[in-house]
Amino acid sequence: MRQRLFSRPIVRVSVALLLLAGSTVQTFAANLKLEAKLIWGTDDAKSPNPEHKEVDAATKEKLRKVFKWKNYYVVNRITKPVPSRASNKFELSKECTIEIKELEGPRVEVKLIGKGKEVHKTTLNIEKGQSVVYSGDDTNQSAWFVIITELADK
Amino acid sequence: MNWEQQLKLQAWIDGELSESDARRVAAMVESNATARALAEELRMARAFISANEPVVAVPESRDFYWSQIRRRIESPETVREPVAGLSWSLVWRRLATPLSGLALVAFLAVISFNSFRSPVIDDGSRFMVEVENLSEDVGSISYRSQSENMFVVYLYKKDQDVDSETSAGSSDDTFFQ
Repeated sequence: MRQRLFSRPIVRVSVALLLLAGSTVQTFAANLKLEAKLIWGTDDAKSPNPEHKEVDAATKEKLRKVFKWKNYYVVNRITKPVPSRASNKFELSKECTIEIKELEGPRVEVKLIGKGKEVHKTTLNIEKGQSVVYSGDDTNQSAWFVIITELADK
Repeated sequence: MNWEQQLKLQAWIDGELSESDARRVAAMVESNATARALAEELRMARAFISANEPVVAVPESRDFYWSQIRRRIESPETVREPVAGLSWSLVWRRLATPLSGLALVAFLAVISFNSFRSPVIDDGSRFMVEVENLSEDVGSISYRSQSENMFVVYLYKKDQDVDSETSAGSSDDTFFQ
């Protein structure tokens, strides 16, 4: 008679535990990988800061359809994970920080902190391909934007 | 003949009665034709049974069987120590099926909970947005651009005029360094 490597009860229990573990992961794991970009919008053809790079064509097109400025430059870009039921801070400049908290849903709470003070809070569902944009006026008919997007790989 | 007399008659034939009872029953048999007929019948049955009783002879003697039993009892194999591994595997085998059943039930419960819960959340709060101004000096206008899949929050200082196109003029308030 051939000796089996694993007995039948062991296989049964292993399969059941694997299924249970899989369902638990599906229920509780909602770690987000988010990207926050600080963008400067202007009608000027060039940014006065040579370190600023122009946004990619798709983002530029998207922003142009919603906002009136012609050109958009990336000031800073941060990619960070936001663990399930936890928060993470994205310090985009000395004056501008975004704090994002992952909530059940999956929903996110986005908090804008300007000059160390909490300015605004938005709570909403976040989906892949969707952008959450904070904007405001800047000097010389220009504007600032903070664009938050969920990246494809969690 | 009553029932008691019949029993006495059978006991007389089997030789189980006392001398005085036996005399009394013998007298009854001689005087009573029914008793005589019954006695004859009982004698015939007794003779038939005793003549035809099968006798089974065992091949080995009685002593041989007892010696076999004694040897089995006294042999070391009969005293078996419980093997620890065997008992654990037995326990494991007994628990495996109910445990796997429980795990499967839990899995199905979690899956069904997820599948029933998700649509409610999706439908109810998918587009629900809560906005809150945390600064008294700053106001906000929020809107959703369905075509660009974008949710926009435009912030402005409360003492400044807001441009209708969400593209106000100059401002000294900036988050840039």
